[in-house]
Amino acid sequence: MLGAWAPAAAADALSPGPAASPAAEEGIVLYWIAFALATVFVVAILATLLYVARKYRSERGAEPRRIRGGAKTQARVGAALGALATVALVIGIVFTESAERTAETGPRGLLTDNERQTLEITATGQQWLWRYDYPNGAFSYYRLVIPVDTRVNLDLVSTDVVHGWFVPALGGKRDAVPNKTNELAIRVDEEGVYRGDSAVLSGTSYTAMRTAVEVVSPEEYEDFVARLKFDIDQAQEEATSRLVGGGAQ
Amino acid sequence: MSAGRSTAGRPELVAEGFPRRRPRWVEMATSSDHKDVGRILIAASLGFLFLALVELLLMRLQLSIPENTFLEPQTFNRLLSIYGATGIFLFAIPLALGLFYYAVPLQIGARATALPRLGQIGLWLYLGAATVLYAGFLYTPSQAGVNPLPPLSELAFIADNGVDAWGTAAGLATLGFILIAIDLSTTVRRLRAPGMAWRRLPVFSWAGAIGSWLLLFVGPVLLAAITMLMIDRNFGGAFFVGGADGAPLLWQHLTWIFYSGAYALVLIAAFAALAEIVPALSRKPLFNRGAVIGSLAAIAVITPLAWTQNMLTAPIGIGWMYFGMTMALALIVPFGLLFFNLIATMVGGTLRLRAPLLFGLGALATISVGLAAELGHSMVASAWQLKNTVDATAATHFALIGGAVFGGFAALHFWFPKMTGRTMGESLARISFWTMLLGVALAFAPLFIAGAGYGQVVDAYKFYDEAGVSTYNLIAGIGSFVLAAGVVMTLANAVLSLRSGPAAGHDQWGGDSLEWFATSPPPAHNFDVVPDVRSEQPLRDIREALAERERGPVPGTARPEPAPTGSAD
Repeated sequence: MLGAWAPAAAADALSPGPAASPAAEEGIVLYWIAFALATVFVVAILATLLYVARKYRSERGAEPRRIRGGAKTQARVGAALGALATVALVIGIVFTESAERTAETGPRGLLTDNERQTLEITATGQQWLWRYDYPNGAFSYYRLVIPVDTRVNLDLVSTDVVHGWFVPALGGKRDAVPNKTNELAIRVDEEGVYRGDSAVLSGTSYTAMRTAVEVVSPEEYEDFVARLKFDIDQAQEEATSRLVGGGAQ
Repeated sequence: MSAGRSTAGRPELVAEGFPRRRPRWVEMATSSDHKDVGRILIAASLGFLFLALVELLLMRLQLSIPENTFLEPQTFNRLLSIYGATGIFLFAIPLALGLFYYAVPLQIGARATALPRLGQIGLWLYLGAATVLYAGFLYTPSQAGVNPLPPLSELAFIADNGVDAWGTAAGLATLGFILIAIDLSTTVRRLRAPGMAWRRLPVFSWAGAIGSWLLLFVGPVLLAAITMLMIDRNFGGAFFVGGADGAPLLWQHLTWIFYSGAYALVLIAAFAALAEIVPALSRKPLFNRGAVIGSLAAIAVITPLAWTQNMLTAPIGIGWMYFGMTMALALIVPFGLLFFNLIATMVGGTLRLRAPLLFGLGALATISVGLAAELGHSMVASAWQLKNTVDATAATHFALIGGAVFGGFAALHFWFPKMTGRTMGESLARISFWTMLLGVALAFAPLFIAGAGYGQVVDAYKFYDEAGVSTYNLIAGIGSFVLAAGVVMTLANAVLSLRSGPAAGHDQWGGDSLEWFATSPPPAHNFDVVPDVRSEQPLRDIREALAERERGPVPGTARPEPAPTGSAD
C-alpha cells in the first residue's frame, strides 16, 4: 500500500478525494482497497519477473530442470486466486451498497415545519450546458445551488446526446442518456463550491461543458430559489408584455 | 535440406524452385497461401501501428501544455476517432489474427488452410476497410470518438459522412476478421497432422481456435450494431435516436460486448505467444499446459460477459452492474494462473534473454499493470470515481500496449526467422525494448494520477492549469515520444532485417512445435513430409530420435523413430 508509507503528498495525488459526501467517501475507500490489491498484484509479478530473469539466466550455465508442473500446486494457486476474487467481490458489493444508501437529511439540513425534506432536482444535459430545475419551478444553468446536509435526489436526463455528470467530490459520475432517467442521490456535509466536468464526449464544445455545485445553508438556499423564481417570472412577464404591447409599436 | 526429407520414407513431388512467371508482389497480392496472407496482415498492421503513433503524438502534443491551441477541438476529436479505429481494427486485431493465420497451420502440420479463399477475401476486406477509413481524411473523418455513441453519432448531430466512413470501415474489417476466423477454426478442426489430438495441439494453435470462436461470437454483434446505425443515418431508421422510440443504450450494450471480446482476443494472442516463447527460450516445458489452455478459454468466455463493467455509470439496474463486476473479478483467476504458469515455467529453466523473451517479459510486466488497474474500474462504487477519467486511458493502454505491442513484438521477433529466413538484429532490439519500456511508463503512469487524483476526463482536447494536471500531462507527452521512438526502432529493425538480418536456421529457438520442422521460410506446401505426432512436443521427439540415431541405438531404450506420414501409431 503506497498510502501507508509514501509521503502524504503522493497519497493526495493518487486519491480522488477529499470527499464531501458520504457516497463519495465509500467510493474513495473502495478505490483505495482496489489500489492496494492492484499494488500487491503488480509488485508481486514485477518482483518475481526480475528475480527469475536474473537468477535463471543462461549465463549461469545451469541445466534446466524438467518439471511439467504439478496439478496440486496449480489447484492451490487457483483456489487462492478464486478466494481473492470472491473477497474482492464481497467488498465491492458491501461498499457499493453503502454508497447507494445515501444518508437522509440531517439536523442542519432543509426543514419545513420541522420535517426533514428531500430535495428533487432535475439535471438536464444539453450540448453544451447543464441545466438544473428546482422544485419551485426555478431553473439555473451551469451552477447548481443546494442546501447543506440535505438529501438531494438528482434526476439526470438529456435532451440530445449522452452526457456524463461528474463532480469528483460528490460521489462521482452518472451518465445522462436521452429517453432514460439516471438517478444520483447526494448529501453534502460541508458548505462550499465543488467543481465538475462532463465525462462523456459530446461534440465540439465538450470540454467547455463544466459545472459547479454550490452548497449553502438552508436559509440561503431558500432565498436563492425564491429570488431566482421571482427573477424568472418577472423576466417572463416583461417579455410577454413586450410581445403583446410591442406588436403595436 | 529439411529435417523432414532426411527421414522421409518415400519420395514426394516437391514443387519448389519453379521459375516465377509473375512479379513477386503480384504473387503475394493474389496469393491465397496462409503464409502470404498472414505476412501481409502482419506487415499492414505494423504499418497502421505507425500511423496510430503519429495520431497519438499529435494529440499528446496538443495536451502537453494547458489550454493549448495547437489543434482545433474538431481536429482533436477526429484524430481521436481515427486513432481508436486504427488501434483496434487496423492494428491490434489484425496483428493477432495475422500471427495466428501464419503460424497455426504450420504448428498443426497442415499444408494449407481449409478454406484459403475466405482468408484471402478477409485480408482484402481488411485492406479495403483501411482505405475507407483513411480516405476519410480527404473529406471529413469521424469526430464521434473511439466508440461513437449515439445519439452523438446520429445524423442529427454529425451531418458529415465521417461516421458513415467509420461504420463502413469497422464493418468491413470485422467482416474480414470473421471470414479469417472461419478459415482458421475450420483448419484447426479438420487439418491437424496425423496423431495430433486436441490434447497435443500447441497452445498457440489452441489460442488461434479459441480466438476464432470468440470472434465468431462477438463480431456479428458489432456488425448488427453498425448496420442499425447505418440504417439510422442513411435510411431514416430510429434504432438509437434520442426521440420517442430510440434506445441509445442498446448501442452501448452491443458495442461493449464486441470491444470486450476484442480486448480478450488481443490478450489471448499475447499470452499464447508467450506460452510458446517462454518454454522455448527457457529450455523447459510449459508449466501445466492444460491449465494454460483452460485459462485462455475461460478468458474468451468470461470477458465478453463482463461488458456491463464498461457501463457502470449508465442508467442500467444495479443488478447489471454487479453482474459486470462479478465477471470482471472472476477474470482474476484465469489471468492469475497465466502469470503464475509462465513464471513457473521460467523457474529452474535456462533463460536465454534474447529479443523474443525480453519483449515477452516486458509484455507480462506491462499487462500486469493494466489488468491490476482495471480492478478499480470493476468495483462499482470505485468505478463511479474512475470511469471516463484518464485513469481508464492509462489502464487500457497498459493492457493493450502490453498485449499488442510488447506481446506482438515478442511474437514478431520469435517467428520472424521462420517468416523470412533471417533473424532480427539483436542489439537494436535491445535498445528498442528498453526505450519502449521507459516510454510506456512515462507516457501512461502519470495519467493514473491525473485521472484518479485530479479527475481529468477522457477525450478532452484541452485542460486548464488550475486543474493541477499540467506536470503529469507534460510527462505523458514526453513519454509518448520516447515510446514512439522505441516502437519505430523495432519497425525499422524489421524492415532492415528483411535484407540484412543474420541468416536463420530452421529451428532458430529450439522450439517444440511443428513450424520449426519446416524450412525457413517454408515452401508453398509447408512440409515435404508431415511426421506422425506422438506427444505435445513433436519436434523434441524428432530431435531426440535423431540424437539417438547419431549415438547409435542403445538396445531396449530407443524410442521409436518418428515415422513419415500415414503410418499408424
